[in-house]
Amino acid sequence: MSVALSSRRRSIHRWRRRADAVGSAVLSVALLVWWLLPIYNMLLIALDPEGETEFKGDLWPSDPTLKAFAGVFFEGYWYLKDFWLQFGNSFFIGAMTMVLTALIGSLGSFALGRMWRGRAGVISTAALLLYTVPVYFLVIPFYLLMHKYGLNDTLWAVIAANVTFAVPYALLILQWYGRLVPLELDDAARIDGATPVQVYMRIYLPLMAPALAVIGILAFLTAWNEYLYQFILLSSPGNKTVAISLATFFDNEYTPWNYPAAASLIYALPPIVLFFAVRRCIAAGLGSRRFRQ
Amino acid sequence: MSIQQALAGGRVRLSRYRPPAWRSRLHGSEFTWAVAFIVPYVGVLLAFAVFPIAYGFWMASDPALYVTLFSSDEYVEALISTALYVGIGANASVFLALLLSGFFMRRGWWIKALLVLSMLPWVLSAQTSFISFHWMMIYWGFLNSLLEKLLGIAGPDWLGHYWLALGANIIAYTWKTMPFWTLIFLAGRMAIPQDLYDAAAVDGATGLRRLVHVVIPLLANLYFISTLLATIWMLGDYNTPDTVSGGAPLGATEVLATVGVEFLLDNGRPDLGVAAVMAALPVLIPAGVLLIRRLQTREVQL
Amino acid sequence: MALMRRSLLQGSLGFAAGSPLARPYIANAQAKTMSAWFAQGFVEDEDIALRKAVAGYEKASGNKVELSIIPFAPQRQKIVSAITSGVVPDVTQNNPAEILPLYAWQDKWIETEDIVETQKARFSETALKSAQAYNDVTKKRAYYGVPLRGACVPCHTWKSLVEKADMKMADRPRTWEGYFDFYKKVQDNLRKKGERKVYGLGFQVTANGVDPAALFNAFMHGYGGQGIVTPEGNLNLDARIREAAIKAAEYLGGAYRDGYVPPSAINWNDADDNNAFHAKLMVMDVDGTISTEVAVKAKHPEWYFDEIVTDGLLYPTTNDGKPITCITAMLNAVIPKGAKNVPVAKEFLKFLIQPEVLQDTVETGLGRNLPPMPELAKTPFWQNPKDPHLKGYVQQGLLGPTQPDYYVFNPAMAEVYAQHVYSKAMIAVAKKGKATDAVDAAFNEIKEIFAKYPIKQS
Repeated sequence: MSVALSSRRRSIHRWRRRADAVGSAVLSVALLVWWLLPIYNMLLIALDPEGETEFKGDLWPSDPTLKAFAGVFFEGYWYLKDFWLQFGNSFFIGAMTMVLTALIGSLGSFALGRMWRGRAGVISTAALLLYTVPVYFLVIPFYLLMHKYGLNDTLWAVIAANVTFAVPYALLILQWYGRLVPLELDDAARIDGATPVQVYMRIYLPLMAPALAVIGILAFLTAWNEYLYQFILLSSPGNKTVAISLATFFDNEYTPWNYPAAASLIYALPPIVLFFAVRRCIAAGLGSRRFRQ
Repeated sequence: MSIQQALAGGRVRLSRYRPPAWRSRLHGSEFTWAVAFIVPYVGVLLAFAVFPIAYGFWMASDPALYVTLFSSDEYVEALISTALYVGIGANASVFLALLLSGFFMRRGWWIKALLVLSMLPWVLSAQTSFISFHWMMIYWGFLNSLLEKLLGIAGPDWLGHYWLALGANIIAYTWKTMPFWTLIFLAGRMAIPQDLYDAAAVDGATGLRRLVHVVIPLLANLYFISTLLATIWMLGDYNTPDTVSGGAPLGATEVLATVGVEFLLDNGRPDLGVAAVMAALPVLIPAGVLLIRRLQTREVQL
Repeated sequence: MALMRRSLLQGSLGFAAGSPLARPYIANAQAKTMSAWFAQGFVEDEDIALRKAVAGYEKASGNKVELSIIPFAPQRQKIVSAITSGVVPDVTQNNPAEILPLYAWQDKWIETEDIVETQKARFSETALKSAQAYNDVTKKRAYYGVPLRGACVPCHTWKSLVEKADMKMADRPRTWEGYFDFYKKVQDNLRKKGERKVYGLGFQVTANGVDPAALFNAFMHGYGGQGIVTPEGNLNLDARIREAAIKAAEYLGGAYRDGYVPPSAINWNDADDNNAFHAKLMVMDVDGTISTEVAVKAKHPEWYFDEIVTDGLLYPTTNDGKPITCITAMLNAVIPKGAKNVPVAKEFLKFLIQPEVLQDTVETGLGRNLPPMPELAKTPFWQNPKDPHLKGYVQQGLLGPTQPDYYVFNPAMAEVYAQHVYSKAMIAVAKKGKATDAVDAAFNEIKEIFAKYPIKQS
């Protein structure tokens, strides 16, 4: 009897696994379509020799060409002159925003969440409420402030804006995430005589790696895709960014849309590379989980 | 062994958040260090945030602005659309992301590849992706061609109907932001000790039951704070409604952010623009405060 | 032709930079630096011409111009931010056009009469009027702008689609309603031939962008309803205007209601309209400037020279055969109050509006920009007999009867446009409402808005 039961159990188990595999395959395909459809649409336009496929309802351009991609790479179209210079500026803004946000956010969250543990959470969340005014609407006073600091028309003005508006969120997320990391680890290290800096460097940062990675990408992408502050704060040609350059296309009612579509696809590559790099950090988070056990 | 037993057995402790020990009273060098750690954060706030925010509130301080706003039908209509757009959109992106993060906890190269692909919407430039959504729907464009050629049906005029247009905005926004929340929850799930999963598995809690009994209680804080953040961000989201539906049909899907930006930078009435979004604060701030208080009493510490 | 134009450009620029004509306006010999925010050109040559003009000024004066060439939308947002915060450039442009009268009302600009004076005899009357605005602080109308170029709204037609419907372009009536009714017949014929997706009329019966107001104004004029705002800035809603408005709302909304306008047009923005026309989804389009044609010139010369027809010379008349006064919008240079180098800015603008310099900056736009001076319409560029579009466009927007847009007379009209008052009237009719009710509602709203902008001429 027990043999019969176990074989039945096994067959149920097998059936379940199969259903699970089918379900996960169906879900995967549905998700893929949903993620990729708008991107496929962009690719269609980028491959069209005139970027007009969209308006004819074609599912594949009749005459696909890589002309637009070449135009971006070799700065062939006149809106795309200085593309790589602008790319460099965008990257500088993005990287600085990422590093500063992660640094300031993690230091702050360590102090508030691990050292002053009391009501710090309330304090940082309350500070966040100040930020309920959408960032867009503070651009005019921010412009005035940057003028007073003499930072207008410098990349640092944009970095300052990005960091200012990203740090409170970073701090908050780090703090709430930090609640999942046991405080006992800090205490044990402290009993062994570790200084706060050592605890921060050796325990807090490694354990927080996954959250820091997410915060880092968030900050980078915010800077990478934000454009209003770049419009307002930057003026001279040498300080232009890709976001401003893309806006030029959107501005022109008669844009050859294949160029901005191709430029956007190329522009998405650095964040993808960054994400690959960060996946390791998340894996490192997995490692630390083992370490805790 | 049940989860409760596992918890009681001390393998994993799930307890109320307790006021700490290294902490309420910091001594000498430790206090100095704590201050040093917090100085960059406070410095940034004081140097760059206080003035713009105060200036913003000052710009929107004239009560007459609100009289002007609320006497306009378009504005009231935008308030309703905003409530729907943000109410549905923020919850949908966060909730779906929670589920999706569970999917990504599975093993296999296929899942890893999917995770990378799932990040694409987030990394693509918002303007371009949203215009792609717009084009798919505005003409006899890609979406309707696809429906016609694959399924043989004539698609609707997507931006001609309120709910379709609003839905398009919500779908586009969810498409764009879900990867971020998925990562947040993925990071959160990874912090949950494997023992807890093992104990739950022994107990027969897998799939949905594991989600309800293990994951949700542990990630509740993260979930609520994510919803709050998603709400704040979505309220300030100007890009999606402006580009995807462009307010279609006939301005019906305009939201506070689009109305506000129009006043702020296009019509040369910045004061009205800031006031247009400030009007949402009386709803948002109490909601935030309530949420924080609620969280304080429900906090869970591993 | 391009070669000829280019050599002409270089020749005249060299002249402008070094000529005695350029010198009288340059009195200041000390090197100073001023900042200028100009909108990005439509084609690269425009930016090149602007940079050359700036270089010419720098060479002649010894001053330095920090020139920022900025895309249109960011420029607009930068200007609003600058004026609001008081951190302003020395020279910029009225982008959006309405900010010239709107900020003049609030006394935010420096007077420019001394600059305009240097070329006053040359400017068209419309250009001169467009440079003036009412200041509510001083209670006076004065010059606050310096005209740089103009634009008006012609009709564009796909000849190939008309012929596909077995009809002839030459058969199009010249009277207002007959002209537009013709395209309804084109659509009917195309439907009979099984063409489902093409519509006869590209009317922007929508509340997006700036095009709907321009379309409605054109129809008001087409129905003889000119002058809803008087040059003194007073609102005029008399019986003649009301009748024209009712007819305009009825025709525009009615065409949509009756299925002669693409259904999705109701949600189009300015770019959607152009994309749809280029994709041949409609036979004709009423849309600002001839960039519709110019944009396709390089890639599809056959479209430019043969397939697309611009009605400038053959712009329809009113139903009783009178010529229509065309609304020409003007781009002006402005100097914000608070600018640090006003004398240099003024000197620079005096340099910029010399006919030779203007000609180069305008003509490099391939015809998209109209010159503000009638004499500049007589150049070989505009009168080129081989070009099918330019001569008619400059006739319609500069040489024929023209007037400024109504917000020039009173900024209240800018708010009327921003509130989409005309759009609402058209859409009400499109949704099967009565035109009289729609226009009454619109006029009530217009009256309310004008009540906020009383002009007391001194």
